[in-house]
Amino acid sequence: MENQKSVIKVEKISKTYGAGESAVMAVKEASFEIFKGETVALLGPSGSGKTTLITMIGCITEPTGGKLFLDGKIIYDNGWKIHDTRQLRREKIGFIFQSHNLIPFLNVEENVTLVPIMNGLSDEIAKNKAKELLDYLGVGDKLHVKPSQLSGGQSQRVAIARSLANNPKIILADEPTAALDGERALSVMQLLKKLAKEQDVAIVVVTHDDRMIPLFDKIIRVNDGYITKE
Amino acid sequence: MINLAQRDIAHSLGKFLTTATGVGMLLGVVLIMIGVYRGLVDDASILLKDTRADLWIVQQDTLGPFAESSRIHEDIKHQIKLFKGVKDVSAVTFQSLQLYRNATPIRVFAIGYDIGSFYTPHLLAEGRSIIASHFEIVVDAKTGFKLGEHITIGRDIFTVVGITRDAVSSSGDFMVYFSLPDAQKIQFLSSNEQIRNDRARGGAQEATTSTANAIIATLHDGFDPKEVAQEIERWKHIKVFTQSEQLDILTKNLVERSSKQIGLFTLILLLVASVIISLIIYTMTMGKIKEIAILKLIGAPNATIIKMIVQQSVWLGILAFIAGNIFSHGVVDLFPKRTILITSDALALLVIVICVSIAGSLFGVKSALKVDPASAIGG
Ligand SMILES: Nc1ncnc2c1ncn2[C@@H]1O[C@H](COP(=O)(O)OP(=O)(O)OP(=O)(O)O)[C@@H](O)[C@H]1O
Ligand SMILES: [Mg+2]
Repeated sequence: MENQKSVIKVEKISKTYGAGESAVMAVKEASFEIFKGETVALLGPSGSGKTTLITMIGCITEPTGGKLFLDGKIIYDNGWKIHDTRQLRREKIGFIFQSHNLIPFLNVEENVTLVPIMNGLSDEIAKNKAKELLDYLGVGDKLHVKPSQLSGGQSQRVAIARSLANNPKIILADEPTAALDGERALSVMQLLKKLAKEQDVAIVVVTHDDRMIPLFDKIIRVNDGYITKE
Repeated sequence: MINLAQRDIAHSLGKFLTTATGVGMLLGVVLIMIGVYRGLVDDASILLKDTRADLWIVQQDTLGPFAESSRIHEDIKHQIKLFKGVKDVSAVTFQSLQLYRNATPIRVFAIGYDIGSFYTPHLLAEGRSIIASHFEIVVDAKTGFKLGEHITIGRDIFTVVGITRDAVSSSGDFMVYFSLPDAQKIQFLSSNEQIRNDRARGGAQEATTSTANAIIATLHDGFDPKEVAQEIERWKHIKVFTQSEQLDILTKNLVERSSKQIGLFTLILLLVASVIISLIIYTMTMGKIKEIAILKLIGAPNATIIKMIVQQSVWLGILAFIAGNIFSHGVVDLFPKRTILITSDALALLVIVICVSIAGSLFGVKSALKVDPASAIGG
């Protein structure tokens, strides 16, 4: 692992919501590193701080302390933070959510090509790439369909295609298969893992499903804001 | 680049079009208000312009029949005609009158004129102007009378010999035309107590008193109306206005008051329309909070989100504007008084609507910018 390229590195990262008596320390001085192409599961009981942690990695939630590096670049350093986190997300991170969260007024193809086109890719190249990904995920025939006409599993596949479309360094998924039944959840997760490996993209997945554990290279356990085991 | 505004509109097209139609009807009312104003201004000057006179000779110290009551001896016209430059003259009377058509009262405005003079109802569309010096009448089409129909006024029966189109008085009443002697008689018959008392006292004033409300005159080519007017004023105790001076007086007196009224009304309607557009855009934006959070999460810059909201707002405004035009043109003929829809007014409204749409979207934009991308995660 040592000779591999670091995608995410956090050092004593913390997050406290609120202040004074009502303050909640959701994440307490967590440190770990995630490498290129690595698949990582984030496990822990409800309220332990998993979402907080993954959104800090995703440059959505601002840490209240510690350091955060993304792709070797410092993003957050004890109060200082990089200016445009949105550009960072657009260019380096793919997101998958619990419910698929596709944009309802865009069709499948547009949902997948939106970010790559925003990043300056030509429509044609973006469309080709989207088609390729969607074909691979078994929803290539749904290009011009609106999300409301897709099944849960199909939506999640489209969401996976979207998260990969901008060639991210890392995909962050917060309980991506929670809305799917056991069988389908497992197959979607296997597909995600396969794609990530093929494209050498690191993934961090928050999951409750123990059957998923064998799929990952590394397990990070979180308990009451502390990382208990890496 | 994918146009988010357009995609969102297309996604809920029915709702969007219905909303635009609703706002459009409001804008249609604004257009009609402006049209009513245009009609008013135009109508007010129809009668004046229809005379095609160069000079208006009126009672001294008055502003003429369009502003206040003016009485002048009919006989003065003979002397006026002798002035250098004066081509022709006609005494004219003006009065409001109630006619009955199948027992239904119709308010009209009557003008009496010298049938042998230059004056003739220029707006005549059917039939002919008055030839006989008695018992002939020309009416406007909107009164409903037909050619050849008989109208009883007092003890006399008049025959409709001509029909005008769009002839209305400065206060919007339909016009009717009489020969001067008939008009004078009617004016006398329907006049106030004062005159009736005079008659009771003096008797045969009817025959000798030939008053008019004004004398109108045309000039020979090459004469300056202003100069001739001054010349006449120097000689007689009367007031003389040029046609354009009378038009100014008319505009000031009649139109200014109503234009303020209508202007304020239009302004309030526009304000209401902008508040409604703001509310709609705000509600539309609030309905997209989740999508906006996702867009932010996957890295869409603020500019993209602002563009989506503002474009939608402008589209709403433009569609509403189109609907408003269709609406106003559809109903304009239902209005009894003349309502004139002018393209330049519509274009001015379009510019205002676009500005209002942009301004109205600002609340939506403001709330969209506050959306936390983290809220897209989970549930
Ligand atoms: N925006 C917030 N404001 C205040 N407290 C918060 C906020 N978000 C999370 N918390 C608190 O931080 C702690 C960690 O929450 P977090 O959502 O990270 O847990 P989680 O591990 O994702 O839980 P779950 O498995 O239920 O999703 C909880 O105590 C929660 O109440
Ligand atoms: Mg969570």
